[in-house]
Amino acid sequence: MTIPTGSGGSTGSGGSTASGASVAGPVDLAEFRAEVQRWCRENVPSDWRRAQTGASAEEFAAFQQDWFQQLRAAGYAVPHWPAEWGGGMPVAQQVVLYQELAAHDAPRLVLGFVSIHHAASTLLVAGTDEQRRRHLPAILDGEIWVQGFSEPEAGSDLASLRTVARRDGDTFVVDGQKLWASGAAHADWCLLLARTDPDAPKRKGISYFLMDMRSPGVDVRPVRNAIGDSHFCEIFLNGVVIPAENLVGPVNAGWQVAQATLAAERGMTMLELAERLGNAGFRWLVDTCRTPGPGGGRPVDDPRVADRLAELETEITGLRALCRGLVERHEADTAGPADASVVKLFYSELLQRTMDFAVEVAGLPAHAELRKPASSGWESGAWVLDFIGSWEWTIPGGTSEIQRTIIGERGLGLPREPAASA
Amino acid sequence: MNTELSEEAVEFGRTALRAFEAAGGDQLVQDAEREPARRAELVEPVLDELGAWELDPRGGADELEAAAALCKAAGWWALPYPVAERLCRPTDGSTDASTEGLVVIAGTEPGPRSGPGPAAPVAGLGPRWSTVTLDGRRGLATAAEPVGSPRYTAFVTELIPDPIPAPVPDLPAIDGPADGLADLALGLVLPCWTLLGMLDRAMELARAHVLAREQFGQPLARFQGVQFQLTDAEVERVGVEELAKYALWAVATGRPEAVDDALALRLAALEAADLVFRVTHQLHGAMGFCDETTLSWISRYSQPLRRLPLGQAATRDHLTQRIGRIGLAGPFATQLEVQPR
Ligand SMILES: Cc1cc2nc3c(=O)[nH]c(=O)nc-3n(C[C@H](O)[C@H](O)[C@H](O)COP(=O)(O)OP(=O)(O)OC[C@H]3O[C@@H](n4cnc5c(N)ncnc54)[C@H](O)[C@@H]3O)c2cc1C
Repeated sequence: MTIPTGSGGSTGSGGSTASGASVAGPVDLAEFRAEVQRWCRENVPSDWRRAQTGASAEEFAAFQQDWFQQLRAAGYAVPHWPAEWGGGMPVAQQVVLYQELAAHDAPRLVLGFVSIHHAASTLLVAGTDEQRRRHLPAILDGEIWVQGFSEPEAGSDLASLRTVARRDGDTFVVDGQKLWASGAAHADWCLLLARTDPDAPKRKGISYFLMDMRSPGVDVRPVRNAIGDSHFCEIFLNGVVIPAENLVGPVNAGWQVAQATLAAERGMTMLELAERLGNAGFRWLVDTCRTPGPGGGRPVDDPRVADRLAELETEITGLRALCRGLVERHEADTAGPADASVVKLFYSELLQRTMDFAVEVAGLPAHAELRKPASSGWESGAWVLDFIGSWEWTIPGGTSEIQRTIIGERGLGLPREPAASA
Repeated sequence: MNTELSEEAVEFGRTALRAFEAAGGDQLVQDAEREPARRAELVEPVLDELGAWELDPRGGADELEAAAALCKAAGWWALPYPVAERLCRPTDGSTDASTEGLVVIAGTEPGPRSGPGPAAPVAGLGPRWSTVTLDGRRGLATAAEPVGSPRYTAFVTELIPDPIPAPVPDLPAIDGPADGLADLALGLVLPCWTLLGMLDRAMELARAHVLAREQFGQPLARFQGVQFQLTDAEVERVGVEELAKYALWAVATGRPEAVDDALALRLAALEAADLVFRVTHQLHGAMGFCDETTLSWISRYSQPLRRLPLGQAATRDHLTQRIGRIGLAGPFATQLEVQPR
């Protein structure tokens, strides 16, 4: 069995593959790949995993900021942004970049994830020039964003959110509560959905705001999750004043803005995750299978273990191809309405299967692994924690049930579920 | 063959459920996790009161069934205590009769080994434990000092096996079971009853949650996609319950194939646990990962039972090796002779 390194096979050289050709820019992809490889060898800190294991929240944040600036200096931090804001890398090159970062086990951008993806795409798609000028450069300088969408009563049914924003002259005054906001403890700004017209139909009375997290009345409380960390937060909003110029899009059009911007980033963020799983993640899994167990035997010598590895590698290869296809169709504006759902569903369930298998093979020593390195991906090699963490994946960004509904209704054109009153 | 639990055992299980509830219910595991040193003091008085340690699971079907019902009640509350393991403690007057309990350990080596030793969720509850290997060889072990918070370990600690006294016992012959085989069967079956209690609870919690939680203007339970997941999990759970009763009967009646039945039960229980916890977590949404929900506790504390001494693949492997081409005797086995070609 070969272990994918992300640099071999048909995935890259010189835009010579059919898919590569469709998106390749003038830059020679093989050359670009060599350049990224060189950069990774010189810049990925060799001991970051050890340093990030057991790191405090402050150490984690400082490390993330540093790493982000290093990527930025190389032109690798926001390759997906338009050139005028510091990006402009052709999609084919972005694919290569994420492959190589994963192959070299570079730290992930965890802290800035919402900032460079969701916040940026919101600003780029629906923001005013003034909002872009104010925030895009700030994000490059390390401004951190959080997504404040979900509420206690509004999870899958996001449109039923109850946080209200009342107009008061040229400001809005916000009261309510947000839940599950990942990383809110570190955030400077929040992407906020709030109800501005309580009488309108659910989706027609919501507005989209940019909220300064230092505003009076914002109270962030961490929620401890099953792995024991507290990246989830509750945000309590008490008479928070937001200037009207921080509205994104028209009043009461927040739902449409959210839909447009959430979809925008799906492809490349999923591709990055798939490359992670296919590179460092799978390599560790193979390593774990090669480590002799208590009886002296190596799990990988057991044909059933080898079988499962082959099966997983096949699935991961499929996932990587799916992601690549999605990115390319997105670029060509030919993506189907359920394509992103297929990828999310497949990734999250495959991640769970893979981590489950890893815990089994790793046996007892995995249970003694009590900490996973911060700044790592969903597959850090601390398998028990990774396994528990993988369970989260079928929930956010639309649960698996919601994804299945989308695939059924929009992908396959099946009828909607009958309403409850029927 | 009657595999129904006796009315007395069922009643004892109900009494135990109420007693654990009165002693703190779901709070017990939370308190024990916060203050691991208090684990024994939180739980032992209730178990004493229930007369748990007067039960001798080797003393006949009635007592075994009562022990199983007790384990199941303990599982329902994720009781932070190895009730099954203690109930299995040897009572045969042998030198190891004074240990804290009996733990099944992986492998066939009762003595010291290279690499990580066996382990069990027995941290901080007295040092001496009897062990039985998967081929039925008894041994003794000392529980290591717990490393790390139970929040991560769920009270699992390493067991350091004693050297085996000379002369080293021979490997048991294929059809001459080692004297620990009955212990092995018992030591495999009772923890499955604990796990069964956890599955019952997880199902009940998820059922209550989807009935109460509303999204899109209706209870989640209204969505067929939600219902079907819960029903699939329930089908698995019911199957395990039946197998658990059968394996218990096989142990009680001292059937020679009790170990096979115990392993088959363990395999089914692990498979069911995978599905039940996956579904019940999923249906709880993000809430299920937070310690505000009981499910998060039950699911975390189910992990040792599901991974030790053997996970799913290793259990299947061991069972396959044991039964080979003979298959399980089982409740419905036909007496067909397969003629060699
Ligand atoms: C790791 C993680 C990070 C998150 N980060 C953020 C964040 O940064 N910002 C933010 O705003 N939110 C965040 N969330 C919240 C996330 O968006 C919600 O958890 C998600 O929308 C689901 O809502 P819920 O948890 O309330 O579950 P519910 O909506 O209550 O769903 C519970 C169960 O019912 C099912 N269900 C619901 N409706 C249907 C239906 N119509 N048909 C069939 N089944 C249905 C669901 O699929 C699920 O299995 C995060 C969540 C997680 C787990």
